Amino acid sequence: MTVDDDDRAAVIALSGLPGIGPSRLRALLGNRSSSAAWADVCGGRVEVDEALAAACRQPPGPAALLERWTTAARGVDPHELRHRHRAAGVHILCPGDEGWPSSLVDDPDPPSVLFVLGDPATLGHSPAVAVVGTRQATRYGLEVARGLGRGLARAGVAVVSGLAAGIDGAGHHAAIEAAGAPPIGVVGCGLDVVYPRGHRQLWERVAAIGALASEWPLGTKPAQWRFPARNRIIAALADAVVIVESPPTGGSMHTVEEAVRRDRPVLAVPGPVTSRASRGTNRLLADGAVPACDLDDVLVAVGLGGIEHGTPAVSPPNGDAGRVLDALGWRPATLDQVVLRTGMGLAGVARHIAALEAGGWLASDGGWLERRR
Amino acid sequence: MLACISSATIQGARGRSVLVEVHVAKGLPAVALVGQPDPACREGLHRVRVAFASAGLAWPGDTKKATINLAPPGFRKLGSGLDVAIAVGVAVAGEIVPLESVAGLAFVGELGLDGAIRTMPGLVPMVATLAGEPGVGAVVVPAEAHAEAAAVAGAVVRPVASLTELLDALGGAAPWPEQPAERVAVDEVVEADLADVRGQPVARQAVEVAAAGGHHLLLVGPPGAGKTMLARRLPGLLPPLDRQAAIEATCIWSAAGLRIPEGGLVQRPPFRAPHHSTSVPALVGGGSVYLRPGEASCAHRGVLFLDEMGEFPAAVLDSLRTPLEEGVIRVSRARESVELPARFLLVGSTNPCPCGEGGPVGSCRCDPNARARYLRRLSGPLLDRFDLRIDVARPDPASLLGAGREEPTAVVAERVAAARALAASRDVVANAELDASGLDRWAVPDDESARMLEAAMRTGRLSARGLSRVRAVARTLADLAGAGSARLSADHVAAALALRTPLSGVEHRLAS
Repeated sequence: MTVDDDDRAAVIALSGLPGIGPSRLRALLGNRSSSAAWADVCGGRVEVDEALAAACRQPPGPAALLERWTTAARGVDPHELRHRHRAAGVHILCPGDEGWPSSLVDDPDPPSVLFVLGDPATLGHSPAVAVVGTRQATRYGLEVARGLGRGLARAGVAVVSGLAAGIDGAGHHAAIEAAGAPPIGVVGCGLDVVYPRGHRQLWERVAAIGALASEWPLGTKPAQWRFPARNRIIAALADAVVIVESPPTGGSMHTVEEAVRRDRPVLAVPGPVTSRASRGTNRLLADGAVPACDLDDVLVAVGLGGIEHGTPAVSPPNGDAGRVLDALGWRPATLDQVVLRTGMGLAGVARHIAALEAGGWLASDGGWLERRR
Repeated sequence: MLACISSATIQGARGRSVLVEVHVAKGLPAVALVGQPDPACREGLHRVRVAFASAGLAWPGDTKKATINLAPPGFRKLGSGLDVAIAVGVAVAGEIVPLESVAGLAFVGELGLDGAIRTMPGLVPMVATLAGEPGVGAVVVPAEAHAEAAAVAGAVVRPVASLTELLDALGGAAPWPEQPAERVAVDEVVEADLADVRGQPVARQAVEVAAAGGHHLLLVGPPGAGKTMLARRLPGLLPPLDRQAAIEATCIWSAAGLRIPEGGLVQRPPFRAPHHSTSVPALVGGGSVYLRPGEASCAHRGVLFLDEMGEFPAAVLDSLRTPLEEGVIRVSRARESVELPARFLLVGSTNPCPCGEGGPVGSCRCDPNARARYLRRLSGPLLDRFDLRIDVARPDPASLLGAGREEPTAVVAERVAAARALAASRDVVANAELDASGLDRWAVPDDESARMLEAAMRTGRLSARGLSRVRAVARTLADLAGAGSARLSADHVAAALALRTPLSGVEHRLAS
């Protein structure tokens, strides 16, 4: 089925109807062209078939929804919408288009339209790996996400995420800095509604050098129910999904379910058993997810095998620096505690701590020092 | 008959001399007070009148026309400090005491209805001004304020306790009351001792460096970590005020109506801790009628402690930027403008995050954004003024219960004094005042520490401004350790960097 401008305009208008989600839109379209479906909605002539009834079984039910859509459709000019998207530089991809990502062709729950800023071809980049996780990430999680983002991009693997706060953002920031494979962002609101607001620059960079995709038209506000829908596209576009940190419930776990449904390998980064942010990932590991302990683990999962980047074994520092490291131990400690335990005074300790931090032996955050290796 | 009596009023934290002219002549019985008296000053007329009756004297205004002019008439005369001068003027013009008896004398003080002469806010700067006036040989002051008046004006004060006593002395019926024996200045407040701070070597070091180098200090830590305790111990480490500074501080305290310590001078560095509900005028000075010095001026030459800095409204905090930069506050009104000295050491405290706990990674409920937002309430330019920013954690119970004794304030204060003496040899009061050329002369990083600073700048931990502050702090650390060389060693630079902790979440915006 070829898609003409009328269809594109109609699908924008349809996807912007109140309360419409991917499955309702798909059921509404059925086998019709979108312009036909739009005409039916406007005229109140939509027949409730089995698929539509199933998609709309929750209250207020199909009949009331259709009425609402017909009301909402009045005063909407699909072509004006299409011009607005054009003017904003948004590509409108429909199934059957040449640029439609191959990974979505056989998808069990495919989107009926994708709005893309940047190069739509990027969505088909292979291999691609989703690096996702909680918004309430710890320093550890952020660091791992950054490391994976950087390493994957350099190895030519496109990083996919929802560009959310926390893990998603950290992974993508690093991927962009690495200037390797193009980044892919999939968001759950209109491409002009930056969420979280602090990520405006990140969105712009992703759109500039990769692709920023959404199945919602411009101006759509973020809403709770749109994020799970967004997550299924992330899972679909990626060849493997890495969960860096996640509590036992939440959006990342939903991405995992969607990945399993599509037979995408799921990897999880092990974390401290005391950390709430790692409880979900550790559970995934117990349930059989592949541990992602370093970049190689992830590369192997997408069939790239290890890349030579070996870290030479480093012997632990000795002398006073060694004493400082021993005094720190393996539990987080304050600078006060290290000064007291070594008895070397602030001036004696600070210099070694600076050197150890530069050497990656320890990290400091919020006044606490933590040994890293 | 006409009488001209020297007195003074208050403007900001300075006295301004006023000539009280009183004319009593035949006419319809009445009293007129002119020359822009404010309400408190105008009410003085009633006090003087009743005080005359209490002293058993006839009030000339009952039988004659009395005109009282406060010259020069171009500015407002504030408060009750002119009461005594008005009373003396009326007594002279009413021919109760001879004109010659007031020659070379100036009068300040407030009258009670029973004729008692009392002190009032602003007495000290008024006395200081009058003592410097040509033609004033002695200043008559309330007996209860003798100590502070004598402290700023020397021997030329004459303390009197009541109107009767004063008029008797002027009329020659009795000698001037004797000057009370000079009281020895004693530190009446038992200051908190640094020995109480245990298990927090970094915080102890930071407080010592702040005192020695005059570096502003920000304490970041959970409730109960001892932030207020640390701040309270800072004034004890600062050197006592020299005479000039003590007079400045005493004038401000007097103008603000604070109680002057025994001995008459503010000699210990003040400690002021305004609450976060404080308004801008209350902090930097001002007020609609009476330009009163604010808390920042009351902390002049001492410590201004802002507990829970994030709770202060942004406008209040930003009003501190000029005094931090220049050491004075200029308050201007349509009628007048005054300059209030305010050179203080700023100590701020804040919790690390909204829940207050901070702590090791992952232990706190706040996500990184919430932390960043919380600390962002402190404006960047203000945060930039803090040379020292340290994380204060709750000390280990073991170190609190241990028998070990930490160094007491007296020992540390000696080191601070020695470091300040070194700073004085560089023509600054403290190392925080070293400018670029001073730093290039006295705080040159050696090769290793230069590499360390370069790395800190490359990673964005340190801005150009931060670099010069770290050098100044490293200089202070070296001075405290007795390292005389102008080269900064890596030890001191590393410690200075450790005392300037990046604030989690805001470091990128601030670039430290």
